[in-house]
Parts: sequence; structure tokens; C-alpha cells
Amino acid sequence: MKSVLRAAGPVFIIGIALIAINLLLAFLAPWISAYDPIASNSDAALQGPTAAHWLGTDMYGRDVLSRTLNGGRYALLVTFLATTIAVAAGALLGCLVAFLNNWIDDVVMRVVDAILSVPTILALLVVVAVFGSGMWVIVLAVVVVYTPAVTRVVRGAARSVSSLDYVTAAKARGEHAGPIVVREILPNVLDVVLVEYAMRASWVVLLISSLSFLGFGANPPAPDWGLMVAENRTALTVVPLATLGPIVALATFVIGLHLTADGLGKKLGVDRAMTGVQ
Amino acid sequence: MSIDASVSGPVQAPAPAGAAVSVENLSISYAAGNALVPVVRDVSFSIAAGRTFGLVGESGSGKSTVARTLLAQLRAGSKVIGGTVRVGTQEVFALPPAELRALRGGTVALVAQNAGQALTPSMRIGAQVHEALTSHGMSASRSQVLLALDQVRLPNVKDMARRYPHELSGGQQQRVSIAMAIAARPDVLVLDEPTTALDVVTQAAVLRLIKDLCHELQTATLIVSHDLGVVSGMADDVAVMRNGRILENQPTAALFGSPQAEYTRELLRDVPKLKTRGAGAGRPVPESGDPSLNEVLVDCKDVTISYNPSGPPAVDSVNLQIHRGETLAVVGESGSGKSTLAWTLAGLRGATSGSLRVEGGGSGRTGGDLGEPVSKRSLELRRMVQLIFQNADTSLNPRRTVAAAIKRPLRLFGTVPRSQEKARVEELLTEVGLPASFGKRLPSQLSGGQRQRVGIARALAAGPDLIIADEITTALDVSVQADILELLSGLQRTHGLSTLFISHDLAVVADVADRVVVMKNGRMVEVGPVDAVLAGPNHPYSASLLASVIEPGDLDLPSAPAEEQTWKDDPEGGWEEPGNGHRIRKWKDA
Repeated sequence: MKSVLRAAGPVFIIGIALIAINLLLAFLAPWISAYDPIASNSDAALQGPTAAHWLGTDMYGRDVLSRTLNGGRYALLVTFLATTIAVAAGALLGCLVAFLNNWIDDVVMRVVDAILSVPTILALLVVVAVFGSGMWVIVLAVVVVYTPAVTRVVRGAARSVSSLDYVTAAKARGEHAGPIVVREILPNVLDVVLVEYAMRASWVVLLISSLSFLGFGANPPAPDWGLMVAENRTALTVVPLATLGPIVALATFVIGLHLTADGLGKKLGVDRAMTGVQ
Repeated sequence: MSIDASVSGPVQAPAPAGAAVSVENLSISYAAGNALVPVVRDVSFSIAAGRTFGLVGESGSGKSTVARTLLAQLRAGSKVIGGTVRVGTQEVFALPPAELRALRGGTVALVAQNAGQALTPSMRIGAQVHEALTSHGMSASRSQVLLALDQVRLPNVKDMARRYPHELSGGQQQRVSIAMAIAARPDVLVLDEPTTALDVVTQAAVLRLIKDLCHELQTATLIVSHDLGVVSGMADDVAVMRNGRILENQPTAALFGSPQAEYTRELLRDVPKLKTRGAGAGRPVPESGDPSLNEVLVDCKDVTISYNPSGPPAVDSVNLQIHRGETLAVVGESGSGKSTLAWTLAGLRGATSGSLRVEGGGSGRTGGDLGEPVSKRSLELRRMVQLIFQNADTSLNPRRTVAAAIKRPLRLFGTVPRSQEKARVEELLTEVGLPASFGKRLPSQLSGGQRQRVGIARALAAGPDLIIADEITTALDVSVQADILELLSGLQRTHGLSTLFISHDLAVVADVADRVVVMKNGRMVEVGPVDAVLAGPNHPYSASLLASVIEPGDLDLPSAPAEEQTWKDDPEGGWEEPGNGHRIRKWKDA
């Protein structure tokens, strides 16, 4: 594990560290935050940083640090669920249609094209307006929107793998499509899938926060990064930290994901070139 | 041909003392992590104008790396540790970028292994040749482009110039890349495995062409090949490389006549030879006597396989039998339908018409129809036929261990109970000459020959009756090839397997096969016991295959074979039968 990390290079390590810090703080938030994130205190409204409130308070007197620590929990959970389901479904579907390479491939890819042509945020707004803003509604909506993109990318990678001899060997043994996809193709496009996971997660977390910012995700008074930005932007000049806090948290997480994807792609790419040489 | 008249490019200073190329004490290392791995060590040689120098060696010997330094090209991550490479009077690695561009293609030209990849797919042939001329400051009128194409003996050059690369055959593509290489009248020509991707007949023609052109233009030529025969026929002097060093460097006749290095002697011993082979020098005849009297395992009747209903079939009414315990070789150039036939037998595509009947033999097995694709075959039928692939690098899943690869057919076909799978895997590994501990390794941790052994073990795991070996040694070095062929025939004897051995290499076929089928354009033109086919009489196509074989020690190339087919099928059909199961399709002069 150590050698894997060292081989991955500094970019990858910084990325993973940023993600880990965000996840750890969000996970531990209920125990480490000094105040109840939704308890208002009209005596301490709109304060700058003090010893009691390190990042100050918002217009209801709620502690910004406590809200920022807790504010990632909803977005990160939805991001994790939605990205995992979307990437898993997209990867399996992509490998399967690449392997089948027949009319099913054509049909699936045309449906993918159709879904991809719908603007993401618009589609989500429609879903939320019709089905409400429950967590699983949003997760499923994001899955529907992002699975096609993953399918297309993974299919591209899987097509070249599925013409290789070890897949032919499995076909000649008379194996069924399922085992061939799972045993032979999927492990060999895993690098693409991992990079895809990191990239999609960064887009999904921004998307979820955008929804909350627009008022379709987390509901007040729940702490949430997108919601906090929306609530506090009117007081931007008075308590800038109340807006900057959640923005910095979100930005570090997204940058972490991008650096990880970058490092991962570079490492796996370099790795492949090296095995070609030796 | 008025070649000299069209020279208008910059003239290089004449090389000193006749050496157009001199490489001195060249060492190159490759950076792997923090360590420097030497790939070329202390290599020195020189080539005089008008002479041809051959570099032979196995893959990884550094021969290509040396060849590319003449163009000042190094693989990313490599660097020159010491020594010099001089072309004419220039030290190539010290050249500024502008002069380096003039050197590449102008003074030194390269013909690479795969011409299909060396040509730009979206440009017409004429435009590419035009570019090769103008980029080195030569005037390139249409007639000069056509002259360049004519010089490499392409037929119908006006039409050729208008075509795209994919509309040409492999041999024609290689001719175009030769035309582009010699367009700027280079002083030095670098040939990096120039004919490895071509079949024997085309190889002989292309080599003959290069040799004549080099003689005409008085270029200093460096030819790199793993094929000792090619180098023997082309080069005046030959150096043998191994692990980045030159082991010996001698005039060709001396090297092949009395090799000094032990390694060279081993290499020469491992090359399968056709011409010096005595009668019956190949496989020992099975104890049961004439294999044709044995039980028939697979019986193909009028098998036709079409990819495209409107086009000509890839395999056209083939009739053949594979007997139990025999090795039947199928020989032919690329596009002859030999691989299509193999893939159909393996069930990867269905036959269009005809029947492929496989007999089950005793013990209650029923056999079945191999005309069905694999999805319609019974488990028993799928088990009976196993495939070994040409390229062991791609036939093993890089993410699964060797043991997992071999275990899969054991599980799928239920060959042994689950509790004995592990023991059986180790048994199979030992049987193919690998330590049982290799089961834990991934394919990337094995050499090419070891991977091919795993491929064989995987095929054996199913307990097959018929093994289809599709060009299984083409990707391997000669010494490894010899080992693999020996392993395969040993296993075949002990297990009583039948083998369908697909190859384009007649010398290999002569060593391993009992009977041979020669295919051309999807049709069988000749079939018979190996010795009878080698002894003749032959169909003209088989004769041209035999004549095109170049063996180590041949100091000249075979005379250029005919470009066009000189024969056609006798319209009345039928076969000549010189006896002993040897049959030749009747033909007439075209």
C-alpha cells in the first residue's frame, strides 16, 4: 500500500488527503462541533470571528464553523450514493454493450444520446418539482442523468478490450456474457472506471450543492453548504466568512477529487507505458 | 531509369574513408524508476557506402534501439550514456533541430516494420510520396511522383497514386513506404524488420526490390531482423546481438559457415530448416503406422464460409479430414482463409454451408457438428476443441493469475472435482515445463514463451481431442519457438491429441506436421503427407511458397517471384493424385 501511494506521485497524495480530511470532518462533525448547528442565538447574530465562534455567526446567530462542519454530511452522502450507483451501473452497462456489439448496443447508445441531450440541472429540477426533494429522489435522479455519460466512456474503453484474445478465448469456451463481462472485461477497464468515479463525484457534489442553493435540495434550517451560501450571500459584506466557509470546504473537496483523478489517470497511464517497454 | 538526373537536394559532404555510418562504443540506458537499465552496451560497427549490414538478435537484444540511433531517435526515457553515432561526417546526437530534420528522411531514411501504420490513412498515396519529396527540397512534379512509385515496381502507378493506403495490400504498402524512404536519395537506409508483417512470397519480392535499389543507389543499408534467413540473404556483414552487446561481427558467409559465438550456434541450431532436412527428419511416425489409416476425428465436407454474402467466400468448398493423433498443418498467405477455417472449427463463427462433423469415438461420446457456433454447441463438444492463440500477450487476462486462467476451464467443463482443482493446475503447469509456483504470477511477470506455455496449459485443462494452434510461434524468438514446438509435439504424443496447426512458415510446418494442406484464396490447392509435398511435384502456388523460403546461409535472395498469379484452376476441376494421399488441384497456365 505504501509503495502504491509513493508510486502514485504527490498530486495523487494531495488529492486523497483533501478528500480524506473533508470526509473525516463531515463524519466526525456531530462530535467535534462546539455548537448545535441549527440552534439560533439572537444575541450573537452576525458576529465576526471570535474566540467563541472561530468563523463567526450568521444572521440567526448560528455558529458558522459548526454549520460548515455539518454542512457536508448531506451533500457528501448523496454524492457517494449517486456516484457509486451511477458509475457501477454505467460501467456494467458499458462493458456489456461493448461486448455484445449488436443491435442492443445500438439501441442503448441511442437512448444514451437522448438522455445526454437533456440539460442536467433542468432535468433534476423537473424531477424534484414532480416527486419532491426526498434524498432518494435526488439520488435516483442523479443516477439517471449520469449513468449514460459513464456508459459511453466505459463502452469506448471496453470495446478495445473485448476484441482481445482472452475475451475470444472465453467466448470459445462457451462462457456467457455475464461472466465474460465481470471476469474478463471489467477488471481491465477498472482504471477508466476509477478515474471516471472521481470526475463524476466532483460534478455530482457541485450539482447537489447547486440544487440546495436553488432551494431544491436540503431544507432550512438544516446545515448544508449550498444552502448556507444561499442564506448568507445577502450578508456577504457583513460576515464574509459565513459564505466563504462552505465555499472553501466545497472547493477543497472538488479540487481533491480532480487531483486524485489526475494522479490516478497519470499513474495508470504511465504504468501501462512501462509494461509496454519491458 | 534516370534517377540521378532528378537529384536536386542538398548534397552531403562525402563520408571519410568510405564509411557512411560509423557507430563507436555506443551505450544506451533506460531509466526505470531511479535505476538505469542498460539496453545497449559498447556497440561499434561501421557501414561503407553501397554495403549492407545486418543486425540479428532476439527481442529485447537492443537491435532496434541501435538502428533507430542512426536517425537520432531514442525511446522516451532512454539516453545515450557514451559513444558516438556518425552519419557521414555528422555526429547525429549533436545536431541542432533544423539539421536533424534534414538528416531524417534526407540523409537517413527508415522503412519500418508495419507499413500500414507508417502511411497516413487519410492521404492519397501520390500526395504522401509528393510530401516525402518536397519536404527535402526536391522538386516533385507529377511525373516524378509516378517515377518514384514505378521505381518500386508498383503496377499501374497512375491508379496507385490516387488510392488511399487501405486500398493497397500489405506488400504494396511496404513498397510505397520504400518509395518514400528512397525518394530523397538517402545515403543511409535503415530497415527495421521490413518484411516481418509480410507473407513469404511478398517478403521475397520486397527484399529483392530493396536489395536491387540499394545496389543501384549505392546506399549504406542497415537491416534489423529476428529472421536469420532474411539477414543472410540481404547483408554483406552480420552482427549478432544479445543483451545489448554485439557478440560477433563477421562477413555473412563466415558467420553462417563458421559461427564463433556459442549463442550464434544455438540460434542457428534452433532455426527450423527446410532445404537441408533429410527425408522423414521431422516428426517420428506414430507407432500405429500410417496416420491416414487412423480413425477420423473431424471430417469437413464442402465447407464454405462467407463474411459477406455478395463477396467471394473466405473459405471455399474445403474438404479435409483430421485423424486422431495427427498434426495437420494448414499453410497459406494472409487472406488465404486458413484462420477463418480455424475459427469456425473453434466455434467463433458459423459455417455458411457444408458439414464439419466431429466423431466422439468410444466411451459413449456422441461427437457433433462443428458447423454450429459455440453458443449452440454442447458442453462436451466445446470441451473437445480448444484454441491456442498466436499472441500469448493478449490471450491471457492481465488481471488474473496464471492459476485462475487455467482453473477456469477446469471449473467450466467439470474436468476434475473442485477439491482437486488446485492440484490439477500444478500438475498442468509442471506438464508444460513451468514451476508450480508460477500459478500465483500475473501474465506480465512472465516472458513471452512462458505465457505461451500457460496458453497451452489452459487448452490442455479442458481435456480436448483437437487443439487448434493458430500461428502460435510467430510472435516468439527462434530458440523459444523451438522449445514450444517440442513441448507441443511431446504433449500431443502423450495425450493422443490431434492438432490443427495454422502457419505461414513452411519450415516450421515441415518439423511438426504429419500432413499439410496448402490454401490459396480460400481454396485448398494441395494436400498430402509433409514429405510428399516437400518432394513434389507441386501445385505452382505451393512451388512458389517453397521457392520463397530464405534460410540462414543463403547468400542471395530467391529470384523475384511472379507478381501475378501464373496459373488458374482447370475449368474441368478435379485433382491429380501422385499417390500416398498426396493430391494436387488441377491447374492451367493463365
